[in-house]
Amino acid sequence: MRARLTTLPTPDSWIARRDPRWRLAALALFTLVIVCLQTWQAAAVACTLALVLALVARLPGRWLLARLAIVVPFIGLFALWLLFLGPAPTWTWGPMRLSQPGLAAALLLCFKAAALLTVVLVGLATAPLPQTLAAAHALRVPGLLVQVTLLAYRYVLLFVQEWRRVRIALRTRGYHRHTGLQGYRTLGHVAGTMLVRSYERAERVTQAMQCRGFDGRLRTLAVFGTSAADVVLFVAVTAGALGMGVWDWLLR
Amino acid sequence: MSVTPPCIVVEQLHYRYPGDQVALDKVSFEIAPGESVGLVGPNGAGKTTLFLCLAGVLARHGGRLQVAGLDPGEREQRRQLPAQVGIVFQNSDDQLISPTVLEDVAFGPLNLGLPVAEARQRAVAALERVGLAGFEQRTPLHLSGGEKRRAALAGVLAMQPEILLLDEPSIHLDPRGRREFIKLINSLAVTKIIAAHDLELILQTCRRALVLDHGRLIADGRARTLLADAALMEAHGLEVPHSLSHHAEGNRHHDV
Repeated sequence: MRARLTTLPTPDSWIARRDPRWRLAALALFTLVIVCLQTWQAAAVACTLALVLALVARLPGRWLLARLAIVVPFIGLFALWLLFLGPAPTWTWGPMRLSQPGLAAALLLCFKAAALLTVVLVGLATAPLPQTLAAAHALRVPGLLVQVTLLAYRYVLLFVQEWRRVRIALRTRGYHRHTGLQGYRTLGHVAGTMLVRSYERAERVTQAMQCRGFDGRLRTLAVFGTSAADVVLFVAVTAGALGMGVWDWLLR
Repeated sequence: MSVTPPCIVVEQLHYRYPGDQVALDKVSFEIAPGESVGLVGPNGAGKTTLFLCLAGVLARHGGRLQVAGLDPGEREQRRQLPAQVGIVFQNSDDQLISPTVLEDVAFGPLNLGLPVAEARQRAVAALERVGLAGFEQRTPLHLSGGEKRRAALAGVLAMQPEILLLDEPSIHLDPRGRREFIKLINSLAVTKIIAAHDLELILQTCRRALVLDHGRLIADGRARTLLADAALMEAHGLEVPHSLSHHAEGNRHHDV
């Protein structure tokens, strides 16, 4: 199972049909509460709730797992050290001593990472990105930031396409991941070329945008409207997040 | 008898790139409303630079310009240019900036300050015009070269410009796509300047041609006559189109 850089899936679901502003506000609050959690039990519940959200949003399982499989083991690698380096009390098996607070901290870290990533993916994959970003703009996120994100999303994928073409061109000329000095030199040249090309493209894109009347302000086709179901989603997610936050505070 | 004023007036236009490399050297010509003019010349002749000057993206270093009655050198008038002048760039990927085709085509109309409903309506109509109805939610990344080209043209047509500047429109098009694109260009009743190395395309879309080389306007005249001039074509890195090659012998070019 590999996570490829590609366009986002936007499956139809009850959550996907909600006003992106309410959805985004609810998920942002949920994310904030997850960040503040300090006990592994609450983080585990947050992770479960996030997975329930992903289920209701009907995110493709393999797509979600492929992304979790990149982040969680990476965080886990750092969290592992806490088991051995954490303070007392400890469990002892022969020569091995495992810290109990270390284990709690490691679990907290892993659950929080998984919960955060899942919530972010639910936010990203429940509407086309322009709509989500327009909603963010409506919630007072600066237009420049939104515009840059949109352009980055469009051109990162193009950059990847170009990189694939360059890689094929390298292979056809006998280059096969040499790790010696010559290999690194070639990679350096390629990186430089790609950088210069990207810079030139950025100039041309700016010119093309100016020719179509762009003056720095973000304008989109998105039109928003609030329904009772939107408020229900917001209240439900917010209540869940706040309840989790209070429980976490009581557990400390 | 009243004489229609020209739509584009270029007088002694001068532009140089940083490092004093001259891109346009005292270029002068006029284009009447509704005229379709081919702009030919080798790589680096200054074709794209001329387009960017006409659109007000590059500020000229000398001469006079008037495009649809506006002076691109004047800040206030330059702001009105996007509503009058549309450019279809050589590489469509530079122009298709939005994650979906519909958002991209509506980008220009929205920037003109049109209400969302009208911008959407114009975008849908433009997509239909270029034969891309049903492509609204597609991402530009997954379009073929020809589809990207048509989407880029739709983005410009949605702004309903008076003047259309097409930079190498047949590049990345297969023969059928090229044929359809030529038909589409010919159906547009606006003033057009078409810069291309594809001289057959120029013959099929323009009555008049301008030959540009090293930033200088070398010749201005009837497309069929200029493009059949073997000496002129060869001297400026071009080739007589196949369909005219039997006329080439003995033709003389019309110097400016």
